[in-house]
Amino acid sequence: MSDGARPAEATVVPPGAIIGPGQTFGSVTDKISSAVLDRVPRGWWIGFGIGLSLLMVFFTALGMLFTYGTGVWGIMIPVGWGLDIINFVWWIGIGHAGTLISAILLLFRQRWRTSINRFAEAMTLFAVACAGLYPILHLGRPWLAYWLVPYPNTMGMWPNFRSPLVWDVFAVSTYATVSLLFWYVGLIPDLATLRDRSKNILGKKIYGIFAMGWRGSASHWHRYETATLLLAGLSTPLVVSVHTIVSFDFAVSVIPGWHATIFPPYFVAGAIFSGFAMVATIAIPLRAAYGLENFITLKHLDNMARVMLATGLIVAYGYMMEAFFAFYSANLFERSMMHLRFTGPYAWSYWLLILCNVLIPQLLWFKRVRTNTIGLFLVSIVINIGMWLERFVIVVTSLATDFLPSSWGIYTPTIWDWSTYIGSFGLFLTLLFLFIRFLPMISIFEMRTLVPEAEVEGGEEHS
Amino acid sequence: MSTPARLHGVIAEFTNPTDLLRAIEEARAAGYQRMDAYTPYPVEEVSEALGHHGSALPGIVLVGGILGAISGFALQYWTSAIDYPLNVGGRPYNSLVSFIPVVFECTILFAALSAVLGMLALNGLPMPHHPIFNAPRFALASSDRFFLCIEATDPRFDADEVRRFLERQAPRAVSEVDA
Amino acid sequence: MATTALPSVRVPLDHPLRKAGPRALVVGLVALAICGLWAIFDPQQAVRSYLIGYLLWLGIALGSLAILSIHHIAGGAWGAVIRRPLEAATRTLPLLALLFVPIALGVGLLYEWAHPGVVAEDPILAEKAAYLNVPFFLVRAVIYFAIWLLIALLMNRWSIEQDVAGDPRTTRRLEMLSRATLLAYGLTVTFAAIDWVMSLEPHWFSMIFGLLVMGSQGLSAFAFAIPVLVVLMSTLQLDSAVRPQQLRDLGSFLLAFIMIWAYLALSQLLIIWSANIPEEISWYLRRSIGGWRWVATFLVVFHFALPFLVLLSRNAKQRGVILAAVGLWLIFGRWVEILWLVAPSYETNGFSLHLLDILAPIAIGGVWIWFYLIHLARHAVVPVYDPAFAEEEA
Repeated sequence: MSDGARPAEATVVPPGAIIGPGQTFGSVTDKISSAVLDRVPRGWWIGFGIGLSLLMVFFTALGMLFTYGTGVWGIMIPVGWGLDIINFVWWIGIGHAGTLISAILLLFRQRWRTSINRFAEAMTLFAVACAGLYPILHLGRPWLAYWLVPYPNTMGMWPNFRSPLVWDVFAVSTYATVSLLFWYVGLIPDLATLRDRSKNILGKKIYGIFAMGWRGSASHWHRYETATLLLAGLSTPLVVSVHTIVSFDFAVSVIPGWHATIFPPYFVAGAIFSGFAMVATIAIPLRAAYGLENFITLKHLDNMARVMLATGLIVAYGYMMEAFFAFYSANLFERSMMHLRFTGPYAWSYWLLILCNVLIPQLLWFKRVRTNTIGLFLVSIVINIGMWLERFVIVVTSLATDFLPSSWGIYTPTIWDWSTYIGSFGLFLTLLFLFIRFLPMISIFEMRTLVPEAEVEGGEEHS
Repeated sequence: MSTPARLHGVIAEFTNPTDLLRAIEEARAAGYQRMDAYTPYPVEEVSEALGHHGSALPGIVLVGGILGAISGFALQYWTSAIDYPLNVGGRPYNSLVSFIPVVFECTILFAALSAVLGMLALNGLPMPHHPIFNAPRFALASSDRFFLCIEATDPRFDADEVRRFLERQAPRAVSEVDA
Repeated sequence: MATTALPSVRVPLDHPLRKAGPRALVVGLVALAICGLWAIFDPQQAVRSYLIGYLLWLGIALGSLAILSIHHIAGGAWGAVIRRPLEAATRTLPLLALLFVPIALGVGLLYEWAHPGVVAEDPILAEKAAYLNVPFFLVRAVIYFAIWLLIALLMNRWSIEQDVAGDPRTTRRLEMLSRATLLAYGLTVTFAAIDWVMSLEPHWFSMIFGLLVMGSQGLSAFAFAIPVLVVLMSTLQLDSAVRPQQLRDLGSFLLAFIMIWAYLALSQLLIIWSANIPEEISWYLRRSIGGWRWVATFLVVFHFALPFLVLLSRNAKQRGVILAAVGLWLIFGRWVEILWLVAPSYETNGFSLHLLDILAPIAIGGVWIWFYLIHLARHAVVPVYDPAFAEEEA
């Protein structure tokens, strides 16, 4: 993705700083908005091209699916939830970091969030867009997806509100809406900046329409800040609720391996784990490609790595509880489920998962790994893979070998399973590159508050 | 200088928040009441100096949240227990425990919508045009400049006097803004 | 990092807290004497009630250990201002280790699985016997206490060292210790919760239970430390350290822990209620028979909804008196929840509240508070060199 031609920033960012030295209001504004308004690096075209190509793969896979039905996938009885549900959970998990960074870190007054919140939120939206498609595709007749919504209909029926799948509809749509609102509200002042700086008439008009006439009035800022804090306060429990409800999809059933009360917190921790891993996976190449080392500093990477380490340990705790309670429950089916995970037909996926999610992330205990861009990049990719495997283990192994050995079956994904998965990266990357091209990937107005001269004289200084 | 028929106010441009804040304090001391400051990022001290305390927004959000909770529960109760009672695995029609997730989501959804729409409504946005955009170099208010506008609706407003007053506040420039 | 020193404020000799300690001790000893007498005639009821009281006060001490660790890792002036009240609570762990003796002696009176005869007739308990047996139970308890005492010892020693010199190396060491503490805390508390509470109904199991107990302990620690801080603030000159912002932050943390508790409790209920598997749902059925239903309702309303609504208000969080009242109320709430967790394991006929269920918590609490106040008075009530103060200044 890097176009390699740009020289590295001449200045050296001191360790522990969250913004490089010598930045002013003007330099921050210029640097970030120029990524949108001026140059389009060659790397962007390459990245966008890859995204678009994969999107074509996605459309092809969907074409097959719509033409022939879900039979093109490998799902069967007993494994009725295959790669589509795995991918749903995986994508929606990734979609947790953005709102979390924006909301919780705002409430904790963590100023280091400033430079990563915008694109982490964007990433959230695109990941949720990818995630939201899967349950709909999984329906078999996706054109009837609106049946999930409670509306008065001629059949005289209503959704069953005791079903977690209906809770999912509410949770995912609420999450998508609120994340979009949060992201858009955060963008308004920056859209005004782009409106005021754009030299392109059409750009000026479009940015102007979306900036809604923002003029930076002090009374507006005052309410704006209140609204942002309130949204943060609302989003924090919302983020937690979404993956909790996703975990209910499994946990309220009676399938061994699914029915576990630890699932809600363990899913939420896993979501944050994978979400931060994905933010790191994207941020590290991005800062190199656009020369943003002054804004996304090593301190940011270090902090993200610490969050990954902490949430990874909670996930590991979840695995340990599953194993211990399989024994402690003294329940034949719980025990055989765990035994099959260790040694059964899918044992490779379980041990690979332990390697990716438990063992390798322990490298993050070392500061040298946390602040090494390549090292952290590799670990974050391993975590992305590990979290995908976790969902594979949960979905497939639990279903493939449940209560009755006579009805056991092995699930093998087909090429259309895989191309639907790989294709969804196309949707994600296309949206991501369009975002980078047309919107400021770092919040400009919030970065201005980190500039030394932003402090009102007589006020207090920050590091 | 001949005063135009309609004037929005007189505006001064500053290069940093400290000068702006000092000018606001001076203006308040001089008895001006109708003024607004324009900054490229939120400056808490400026809002305070202009007397912006509290907000109706938390109240609006609270009401929104309560309405969301009520509608979420009402929807589920009415559909599951009254209009279409269905026995699902022997669970009661009014399955309170199962209804919690949707009640929660509706609460958050309504509250978040209230926060955003409430903020926009109280700010009078979207507003496609505002006289302040007539000010020269006002585009910099979204970049690196700080503006203070004393508005023509101020009871003590006199264009020339206000201009002289603002020029004493070490601005980068002072100009009149047409309405 | 250059740290600024704060004045070292101690609890003076004529301070009301100095008098409160002996009074608490007298109350505690009287209640303890009644419990002891009762134990002669009805040892079973006595030790069961004793477990309820013990878990209540142990929760505060262990929760303090976890909150301190979080503070040493994450920083923040909110933690610095309650550091000494929390540390004093962790220094009560030796007393709590001693107070564990009646439980160790009463294993047979508390736990069904401790009777070989019962285990022999119950295939499920026989399967679990490798874990649920008396010797291993006691060994585990010794391990838990050894770990907790070691951590409390080191954390307190280094904290006092920091007061003297403000050496950044001490700060660093505290951070390293805290990381280890959180790992050890998570594991020990999980298994202690299984041993001491979950195994009261040995057929029942819930994987989230360890986290639920951890969340409750964090809540207990905040609910206790905040009233202590408010008393210290109102009687001593702490303005240089404690600002309104920090009080508000503490209120927010209390709110957050109420929400965490509710979240974990609801997750467990919703999953078990929806799946409706006999071996799991029976635990809730026992706890919703007769009057227990109203106790459960009480928890929803008064352990969650009411304090939640009060703490939503920014004004309430800035007023020390309101915060302290909410904290004390929540400690009462903690007692109700522990009662609801423990007592129905023995009673199958609905709600019953024994006099000892009230007296035993008072007995242990009286002695515990006396011990606590001695330790609180031993050092400066606000750390002199916490780097978080310097950060917050910045």
